Amino acid sequence: MGIRLFEEPELRKPDMILGWPGIGNIGIIAVDTLRGQVQAREFGEIESWDFFYPKGLKVKAGLLEELEFPGNKFYYQRLKGKDLIFFIGEEQPTAPGRTYAEGRKAYQMANLVLDVAGRFGCQRVYTSGAAVALTHHTLKPGVWTVASREGLIEEMKGYSNTVLMSEIEGRGNQGSISGLNGLLPGLAKKRGFDAICLMGEIPDYLSQSPLPYPRAAKAVVEVLAGILGIGVDFTPFDTMATQIDTVIDSLYEKFPPEIKERIEQRKSAIQAKVETITEEDETWIKEHIDEFFKKKSGNE
Amino acid sequence: MKELVKFSWQPELKSPSLVVGWSVDAGKLGEKVTGYLNQKLTHRSFAEIEPAEFFPLGGVAIENDLFQFPESRFYSRPGGDLVVFRSPPPGYEWYKFLDLILDTAQRYCHGKELYTIGSMISPGAHTTPRELIGVFNSPELRKAFSRYDLDRELNYETPPGHRPTLNSLLLWAARRRNIPGVSLWVPIPFYLVTVDDARAQRRVLEFFNQRFDLRIDLGDLDEEVRLQNEKISRLRGSSPEIDRYITRLESNLRLSEEENEKLVMGIEECLQGNQQT
Repeated sequence: MGIRLFEEPELRKPDMILGWPGIGNIGIIAVDTLRGQVQAREFGEIESWDFFYPKGLKVKAGLLEELEFPGNKFYYQRLKGKDLIFFIGEEQPTAPGRTYAEGRKAYQMANLVLDVAGRFGCQRVYTSGAAVALTHHTLKPGVWTVASREGLIEEMKGYSNTVLMSEIEGRGNQGSISGLNGLLPGLAKKRGFDAICLMGEIPDYLSQSPLPYPRAAKAVVEVLAGILGIGVDFTPFDTMATQIDTVIDSLYEKFPPEIKERIEQRKSAIQAKVETITEEDETWIKEHIDEFFKKKSGNE
Repeated sequence: MKELVKFSWQPELKSPSLVVGWSVDAGKLGEKVTGYLNQKLTHRSFAEIEPAEFFPLGGVAIENDLFQFPESRFYSRPGGDLVVFRSPPPGYEWYKFLDLILDTAQRYCHGKELYTIGSMISPGAHTTPRELIGVFNSPELRKAFSRYDLDRELNYETPPGHRPTLNSLLLWAARRRNIPGVSLWVPIPFYLVTVDDARAQRRVLEFFNQRFDLRIDLGDLDEEVRLQNEKISRLRGSSPEIDRYITRLESNLRLSEEENEKLVMGIEECLQGNQQT
């Protein structure tokens, strides 16, 4: 088990951008779409068998041809002024009975990824994920930003649509990021890298649904593109968002009227920039939405 | 590794083959075949894998009023040609668990070949002969098996939403260690999945008899097959509905979901008193 590199590209102080699946698949959509756009080239992987159960088997004429595991791949691209390494993990190594990566395997995986970052002289790593927020699906998602040191926070404030966790009402300057999107930048800080986690907002009432949320992925890439100074074609995000919006709209139509009313009030409040969303509102919507999704999945 | 595998005694084995069966298997195939081999070959457990890293030990499972604690044991006899491994499938750390099995077989027993036992659910009738299908991890072994009555031509891809079996992972892990191996598969009629399928057991044991020249008398299994068939025949005689369902399956026709359920329940009730312990 370990790192397998097919190539040793010469890179000049690259940044590393990482994506794993999670809520709304925001991080992985953002990072994988960006990787595709810059035409990054695969150059290595983390061997998967000790982390994951295989996902596919091919038998041909009685012979085991291939056992396929979830991918954990590294890609690189040299861009004007900035070299990039991407890491895409198809699954997070979860501990028994847990939804998100945690424990020994997650720590091992994060260390292996950072070993590659260190080997190629990376100074900064970015992860991306979801920020479950009291927002509305028709509003532009903000991008919550957490960094490994003060200087980076100041830098992040300079990009439009970024939100610091400390600015969010009711959080009392505290929070947590589940899974590898949180563990990795934490460990990166410990190992001396600069680390930034960018989290696209997803409305709380959609966070339990199995739908991807490309609007938030787009918001994350907008910020990343600004930081890296690269041009990005946002059409793929918009196309995906248009398709998903239709599904979300029809789902939203089925919400009980009292829930919709509260969510619409929230939308007006955000638009009017009036802080009228109370903790009580948040709890009320969460409880009723959970019930709604439970009923819905029970009927399917 | 030694800490995770506890040896109670060290069998002196020349170059045995390793047979692996899981206790959670349709028709109890893996459990029954490995149990049968151990009994007939007077095997004793010589090593076991410590469960704490691989099984959720938050309590104990109960089946038929009996505690079920995960036991992952190696069996053999001094000078034996076979090492048998029986276990429930691990809950996690699958690769590490399978690696321990192979490590023990290779390093301490000098194992030369791997055989895994598995069943698949068939929509067919119990009166049709049981097929034996082999999936190999080495072309040489596949070729060497041409003299056995075994289907060696399977083409398969995991369907979307499904995952490969533990046997496939074990076969793959064995290939990484250059251990030639075969996964033996027997399709089991869906209405025998929760009860024994003695005919399927016999099919696998007959193969092992040939392959390893074990000379085990399978007469008791023949008797079991005969008794099971007799019981089902009596049920068909007394229940026109069950008879109609089985007749349709014998004509390669499918049943509705409701009919499937009725057949499963009828057969389970009928064979309750015919379980091998």
